Amino acid sequence: MGCFIFLSLCIGRLLFIQVFRSTYLAEIAKKQHNLFVELEPVRGIIYDTNLKPLAVNIPADSLYASPVLIADKEKTAASLSNILNVDIDFLRQRLSRKKSFVWLARKVSPEQSAAVSKLNIKGLGFIRESRRSYPNQYLASQIMGFAGLDNTGLEGLEMTFDRYLKGEPGWAVFLRDARQKKLDIWEKMALPKDGYSLVLTIDEVIQYIAERELDKAFKAFRAKGATIIVMDPYTGAILALANRPTYDPNQQTNSNKDQIRNRAVCDMFEPGSVFKIVAASAAIEEKLISEEDKFYCENGSWNAGPQILHDHKPHGWLTFSEVIGQSSNIGTAKAAKILGPEIIYRYVKLFGFGVKTGVDMPGEVSGVIREPRFWSKNSLLAVPMGQEVGVTAMQLASAISAIANGGELMRPYIVKEVRDKYGEIIKEFSPVEVRKVISAETAERVKNILRGVVDTGTGTLAKIDGMSAGGKTGTAQKLEPNGRYSHNKFIGSFIGFAPAEEPAVAVVVLLDEPHPYYGGVVSAPVFKNVARDAIKYLNMKQQSRIVFNAD
Amino acid sequence: MKLSKTLSILVSFTCFSLAYVHQQTEVFRLGYISQKRQAVFDELLDKNTVLRYNVDRNSSLVHLQDKFSGTDMQMPDTYRLMKVAYLKGNPKSGRKLAKKETFFSGLFSVKREAQAKDLNR
Repeated sequence: MGCFIFLSLCIGRLLFIQVFRSTYLAEIAKKQHNLFVELEPVRGIIYDTNLKPLAVNIPADSLYASPVLIADKEKTAASLSNILNVDIDFLRQRLSRKKSFVWLARKVSPEQSAAVSKLNIKGLGFIRESRRSYPNQYLASQIMGFAGLDNTGLEGLEMTFDRYLKGEPGWAVFLRDARQKKLDIWEKMALPKDGYSLVLTIDEVIQYIAERELDKAFKAFRAKGATIIVMDPYTGAILALANRPTYDPNQQTNSNKDQIRNRAVCDMFEPGSVFKIVAASAAIEEKLISEEDKFYCENGSWNAGPQILHDHKPHGWLTFSEVIGQSSNIGTAKAAKILGPEIIYRYVKLFGFGVKTGVDMPGEVSGVIREPRFWSKNSLLAVPMGQEVGVTAMQLASAISAIANGGELMRPYIVKEVRDKYGEIIKEFSPVEVRKVISAETAERVKNILRGVVDTGTGTLAKIDGMSAGGKTGTAQKLEPNGRYSHNKFIGSFIGFAPAEEPAVAVVVLLDEPHPYYGGVVSAPVFKNVARDAIKYLNMKQQSRIVFNAD
Repeated sequence: MKLSKTLSILVSFTCFSLAYVHQQTEVFRLGYISQKRQAVFDELLDKNTVLRYNVDRNSSLVHLQDKFSGTDMQMPDTYRLMKVAYLKGNPKSGRKLAKKETFFSGLFSVKREAQAKDLNR
């Protein structure tokens, strides 16, 4: 009888569990047996134009703790503080939490990881994550920017192209064993979609050459800042871009905003005499002035009405070519009077000043150029000399490229392709012609004038042995906070192209507050060295390509 | 008769249950094995990634510059692109030339040099 009652109770209980409690208990069992895990996608790689990696992902351990399992918290905090170089109070505070999981340090170095493992402290553990790393350290750092701890782009191309690079996370429901340990057996899974890779127009070798020369000048002339852009004038592809001061994106937490800022697109400045290329192009295109027309340069000082103009060296009669070659302010002002404000303004706009170039980099500013109706009496003389206008280095690179390539303003671009992880091209960025600025004939004539600048004018230090080059020097006074022009703060610049007959590179070099300050002295040699080595390298690259194709 | 039928049902049900449990334990056992292998594979993959990164980092121009900055080593003024290539024509001729190396020349030379072709002509 007793047996029957016991059996009945058991059957009753089983029925109760099966009929009324099954859903609830199955839910609890599911939670115990299954583990939902978000699967992190692999962030896309950034390559240079030759598919050399500029930004990659490497595995990194992140250290966590289960404070409830740690016996001696004080000793643990002290040991970890020494290894991780983290404030001991921070660790104490973390370890005192009554939680089963707290992060102590994310993405530590392999050495730190090994040292912590050696301590063999119960309650500490590692989770393998991936860390964004930049094998070339500071090279092209301001272009690429950097990604944060959660692999989200925070600066530069990492930020602009984050939607391509980051990918889409997946998820999986893994089984767990009796000890709640995750097993690599999944019940359901949605694979993560890895991020796409970027192929840039940047060439690592040219980038290195540009940074090497810029760095030398930046240090030698004790400048406050410096910028260089090397561009393919026919396509607008940026081959190299660098700024000083700079930073190592692997240690970006130690950098300040000044080092991270991409001055080439974010900073606007009065360009000074390099802007005379606009007046020269306008004068020749409009057929109002020819290269041989002569201007009297008043022996270095001229009362132009609203202001007294000075040349850095006294000149008498100069042809228009010589006016540009010798960078005479008086000659340029007299030419500007012939052109008038409307024509000058039209060409400034045609060359792309006052609007963003549309380059695929973040933080670009448009610069400033006022409409002629807002010009003062002084503006007609000032604007052609590069005063009362604000431009970016990128705009100057586009403008000099337009002269170098026969008159077409190209949109600068830095990302060539977006590829998936198998190397298939997902998206391609082609050169874009913005507009025709000047005729090919005018461009050729302006190029000849700019050759004169390098051969016999203010830019002789840009002369390359065995190669022709054209360019323009600039020495712009900076504005003081009170609105007056400074007498000891200058921007020394050089914009140019080489070889003059069929330009392979257009280069812009800017040095902010160098000592000495003349653009022809500080920036022209940088142009010379960069253009010479870059062209030599490009020729070599082309030759090797021909040889390998022939094979 | 009924009892034997019930017993056979019970036995088959028990066998089925045991088979199911066995299957589950096998799944977990294989899971552990695969997890161990996966861990080894991941470790090797990570080492490979780190190795490749170190190669990229050490061969980067910036690193080479730092490495050579304190030494006398300089880049040549005129760059010359060299390509290792076989001698033109019959590949056997190259081997014949190599065979011409005498005992004494072999004894006193350090190593046979690669055939190089100057591409900057």
